[in-house]
Amino acid sequence: MSARLERATFCAVGTSCAAAVTAGPHDARRARAALGAAQAEVAACERALSRFDAASDLSRLNAAGGAWTAVDGRLVEALRLALRAREDTGGRFDPTVLPALVAAGYDRSFEQLAERPARRAAGWHAGAAVELDESSGGARLEPGAAVDLGGIGKGYAASRALAAMREAWPMLPGGLVDLGGDLALWGETPEQGPWRIAVADPRHPGTNAGVLLLRSGGVATSGRDVRRFGPGRSLHHLIDPATGEPARPGPLAVTVVAPDAAEAEAHATALAISPPAAALAHAAAQPGISALYIPHDGDAIPLGSPPLAQTGFVLRAA
Amino acid sequence: MQRIWTVVLSVWAMLATVAVLAWTHRPVASPSPAAAAQTLVVKGANGKQQLVVVQPGAVGATHATTSTSGVVR
Repeated sequence: MSARLERATFCAVGTSCAAAVTAGPHDARRARAALGAAQAEVAACERALSRFDAASDLSRLNAAGGAWTAVDGRLVEALRLALRAREDTGGRFDPTVLPALVAAGYDRSFEQLAERPARRAAGWHAGAAVELDESSGGARLEPGAAVDLGGIGKGYAASRALAAMREAWPMLPGGLVDLGGDLALWGETPEQGPWRIAVADPRHPGTNAGVLLLRSGGVATSGRDVRRFGPGRSLHHLIDPATGEPARPGPLAVTVVAPDAAEAEAHATALAISPPAAALAHAAAQPGISALYIPHDGDAIPLGSPPLAQTGFVLRAA
Repeated sequence: MQRIWTVVLSVWAMLATVAVLAWTHRPVASPSPAAAAQTLVVKGANGKQQLVVVQPGAVGATHATTSTSGVVR
């Protein structure tokens, strides 16, 4: 009997999730332990990082009014990654956009959103100060600032969940964690080839814009094709830190491949508010990432050298 | 004796000709239907038609799909 993919699906972080491991015929118990560890780690990350849970560490930090707050180590690490991403993206990814996001109307968990006109966040500015004390596990925000780790938090949780699977099953041949399309993957597939990750084409539901072939790393997609809200669903959740409003230029969706899922998410968010020329420049300055940029119309644009299988490319408009 | 050599040379000449013809007229291996790319015309959300080439790799199963995260309601 050959290896197969053991999979668990669950709902967390406001979306559909899955974890999968490559398992042999006698690995059922180890596979269950690894998949359980992944799910438990995602739940722990959600308790630390969710802005929709008033009891989460992030909610306590956001409500602390600029005071130092003792928080879970996961939040400190996720904030450190987010601050580094803000620097790497020249501020196009900014975890402190939350006041602008709330003012735009995304003020509660997406499934509970009510329709109301967008406002501008009074007095908000990008690049608010965030201080971390990694030795004691504390964090502090500039007074009036608030943090959202929605996207990068999913990527971070996916990486943590993959690490938890490897810890629960030290001889794990290979595994994958998928949190609503943010993926962390590593090791062997049951077929002993690369992981084959389909990139959904938002312009043609049910079809793929390509298939990525990966041995390890992270994949994330950000776009304005879903999570729309406000009058006539005219608004989306991608805030441009330069304006404090939902971004106008940018693709319908962009998929980023990076060594780590959190890194992939941060760059996907930055590219998702970038017109094609800026996206090309961004990718050129970041040799560690590659991307597939899917505009509203026209051909999908590879940025860098995404590891695409030759599949389903749109050649040209007929 | 001369007649025997003539026959032998004739047979060799004929075999050589057949070999050359067989070599130069080898059947060309045609791609199997499974390996052939397909060209499809699809209509986008904006109503424009696009040509899409689906290569054989597209047929293979994938392990996961990445997309903008949906919302669980």
